[in-house]
Amino acid sequence: MTTETQAQSTEEINSAIDKASADSELLQLVSFEVGEEEYAVPILSVQEINRMMQITRVPQSPPFVEGVINLRGKIIPVIDLRKRFGLAELENSDDVRIIVVEIASRVIGFTVDRVNEVLRINSSIVEPPPAMVSGSDTDYVQGVGKLEDRLLILLSLDKLFTADEIAEIEHSGSQAA
Amino acid sequence: MDPSLLQDFLTESGELIEQLDTDLVRLEAADSSEEAQELCNGCFRALHTIKGAASFLGLTAVTTFAHAAEDALNKLRKGEIDVTEEVMDALLQSADIVKGMIDELSAGEEAQDGPQGLIETLHALAEGKTQEAGATSTPDTSSENAAAPEPEADDTTQPDDTDKPGTPLSLGPQKLDLLEFMVTDLKDASKNIGDTVDGLCNDATLEESATFLVEVCDEMEKTAEFFELDELTSLIKVLTTVSGKLNEASHETIEEIAIRIKAAKVLIDQQAEALNDLRALSWPLETFCSRLTKLAEDGSIDPQVKGQHNGDVQALLVLDGVIEAQAEVASTAQTQETLSSSAETSAVSSQATEAKQTDDAEESKAVGEPEKETEKAGARAQAKPVAEQTIRVEVSRLESLLNLVGQLVLNKNRVLALTRNIKDQAIPAEMAEDFSDAAGDLDHLMSELQVSVMRTRMQPLAKLFDRYPRVIRDMARMTDKKINLEIVGKDTEVDKSVLEQLADPLVHILRNSSDHGVEMPDIRKKAGKEETGTIRLEAEHQGSHVRVAITDDGNGLDRGVLGNKAVEKGLTTPEKLEQLADEDVFAFIFAAGFSTAQQVSDLSGRGVGMDVVRTNINKLNGTINIFSKKGQGTTIEILIPLTVAIMPAMVVGVGDHVYSIPLQSIVEIVRPEPEEVKSVSGHPVMKLRDIVLPLVDMRERLNEPPIEDGGRFAVVVAIGGQRVGLCVDRLVGQQEIVIKPLDDTYTQGGPFSGATIQEDGEVCLILDVIQLIRNNAPTSNSESKAAA
Repeated sequence: MTTETQAQSTEEINSAIDKASADSELLQLVSFEVGEEEYAVPILSVQEINRMMQITRVPQSPPFVEGVINLRGKIIPVIDLRKRFGLAELENSDDVRIIVVEIASRVIGFTVDRVNEVLRINSSIVEPPPAMVSGSDTDYVQGVGKLEDRLLILLSLDKLFTADEIAEIEHSGSQAA
Repeated sequence: MDPSLLQDFLTESGELIEQLDTDLVRLEAADSSEEAQELCNGCFRALHTIKGAASFLGLTAVTTFAHAAEDALNKLRKGEIDVTEEVMDALLQSADIVKGMIDELSAGEEAQDGPQGLIETLHALAEGKTQEAGATSTPDTSSENAAAPEPEADDTTQPDDTDKPGTPLSLGPQKLDLLEFMVTDLKDASKNIGDTVDGLCNDATLEESATFLVEVCDEMEKTAEFFELDELTSLIKVLTTVSGKLNEASHETIEEIAIRIKAAKVLIDQQAEALNDLRALSWPLETFCSRLTKLAEDGSIDPQVKGQHNGDVQALLVLDGVIEAQAEVASTAQTQETLSSSAETSAVSSQATEAKQTDDAEESKAVGEPEKETEKAGARAQAKPVAEQTIRVEVSRLESLLNLVGQLVLNKNRVLALTRNIKDQAIPAEMAEDFSDAAGDLDHLMSELQVSVMRTRMQPLAKLFDRYPRVIRDMARMTDKKINLEIVGKDTEVDKSVLEQLADPLVHILRNSSDHGVEMPDIRKKAGKEETGTIRLEAEHQGSHVRVAITDDGNGLDRGVLGNKAVEKGLTTPEKLEQLADEDVFAFIFAAGFSTAQQVSDLSGRGVGMDVVRTNINKLNGTINIFSKKGQGTTIEILIPLTVAIMPAMVVGVGDHVYSIPLQSIVEIVRPEPEEVKSVSGHPVMKLRDIVLPLVDMRERLNEPPIEDGGRFAVVVAIGGQRVGLCVDRLVGQQEIVIKPLDDTYTQGGPFSGATIQEDGEVCLILDVIQLIRNNAPTSNSESKAAA
């Protein structure tokens, strides 16, 4: 059921991109940095962007889950994108933000090194991910936007936060251990 | 159609159907004919009410079907057909179908027509053909009835054998049978008139009231035809006509008409009372009717009568020659027995007095005056009827109220924390004391508010339990067993959410008990038991918990069979199995996919049900225990906290973090000396008085680095007889916590039942004591747990 809807929604996004490129529509994105790379997600999926706040650790949750926060009375999980992408931990800086997104009625926050800007890009400059990076572990990369001076990695949030992947990661994690 | 009217109908009918369902099952099992008769009447009344309301709202599918079922039930009621399983099957199915229609309507869909086959069966029953009836009934009658566009009229104007004399009412026996219901309808309609008529005198509500009046009168006309009383029918016909013309009438005329409508209402009420006693009253109504008609037509009125009644209903009736003299008035007034109608009468006369005064004043004063007076009288009249005992409130409103209370509790906690800190600040002592007093009061009031709000969400378990006789009945029918369900303590109240979560588990357990527990009659007989098996469902409060137990006197659980199956499924090893207590072996039935049934049937055997039971009960922070003796039966006992949203908890510190433990599961807190902690086959234990208490190192369970020093606390928790000590570093204090779900897939793995928000706004996790106890034994489990 879930995989089906997910597949469906990615299809939708893909077809949305196709359609957009055909009509050469504008994509509205929020861009942010994690490590050396610049990423972007659709602005409509972003609920809010917060400064760093007190995160409560949840023992026995997947390693990339930083913990939970109190978002005005609602408890939501916060993902450390650095850990999710397998990067080294960052010394706490003032630029760190929690981006809160809603995916399929699930509210999740994730930390990024800094938030850059809200930008509009023409969908025609978005290309599918290069074959080399497209593997089972990186299929959350939905496309690459070529800007004049830089590359923007478009993330598929529902792929990034699917339950199946967690299970997979955990599984491989526990096997390794 | 007015959506709020539909909503009312759906809510009410939903409840009626549930009642109907229960009563039908009870009817089948009824011992005495009086009891059966009463239940029959109850069922009939429920169907009749649904039918009436549905026809009012123009829901033809519901009306037609309810009508067919009503006819069949009527036969049963009169004892012309017997209570057989076939009959009851048809009736119960009908209840299901009507329920389905109501569900469809609730979902905003059109109700589908009921299955024609069942309608035909019902018609066949109504015609007294019980056995060979089936789906092949006489097509002419069924189609005639099913096609009847206005079934209400259908059952009021049946011409057959109505001319038989013998009663003062000269109604056929079939009609006499329905008399009670029709009288109720008549009274209801009359009450509606009384409620509406005041609205006529106010310009703002005139149009609405007039329209409604026409509807009510129209409906009442049909009811009246039933009684075959020309006078009554023509009186109501006049009312209908008059109501239709109200919009065009002048203000003054309307007041004259309104008083006459009230008079007519009084007459109808009296007639209804009389009809109830199988008497028919008769009045010379010609003058009254003709004057009323004339009034409505051109607003003209005989100058001799105008205003002569002084706004008094009785005086008016005398004036129009309907009743005579004073003595008569007194005696008719006495026939108004019911509370409401007498309240109405006094309201009417009080308003009449007011009206008289305004009449006098009208010549000299402004036009706004009489309206004001009428309103005053209206308010007075409203204050008089018996106050409503209950009101319906949307669940969402209660939820948001509870949510607010939850936030308030957190806020109060924060204020209390501030109060504790204030003493350290440079603040005048007096002020600090005042502050602390105020905070104390706030604390006190909050707890009361909390209790009151929680109480609004409490519902009796009867809401669930009343459904189960049907479940058991169907089970018994399908398996050819004889099962008797005993229900004890259904008045026990629990939180609404608890009630909802309990519904499915109980059905599964009951199905299990009847399918696997209770044996076939012949086997029971051989075993020296009564042929009819008994399943006992009981509920009671135990402290802050509710205990629900399901006991059957069936076959009992077989430790050997269960154990072998558990080993086969890899749930345990033969060696471990030997050491397990009976209860622990029985608990394997809750594992997913665990079923000892040889065959998967429609009823059970897939091994899913008991898993649902465990999951739901866990969600409620509850526990399940199984007691069973082979050959003698099984008891499944469920213990759940009364409420789930707000509860007191002990906040403890482990490492740098704090966690909450629900106070209700804490037995005591001890401080073991390091030398008291022993190890039994690798597991830490301590001797607590005369028992050996297993310990759980919370540092280990919560992935904190181990420490050496022994100055720690053991929080002793108990669930269903099992006790363990949770070793924590610090005790922070007791607090009211508001439970928030921690249900995201990312945060589900750990031993937590939820989270709460602390005084400083930080999140604090709530420890799931059940999970901690259950996973205590094998230590290797804790690592693999997260992956599973």
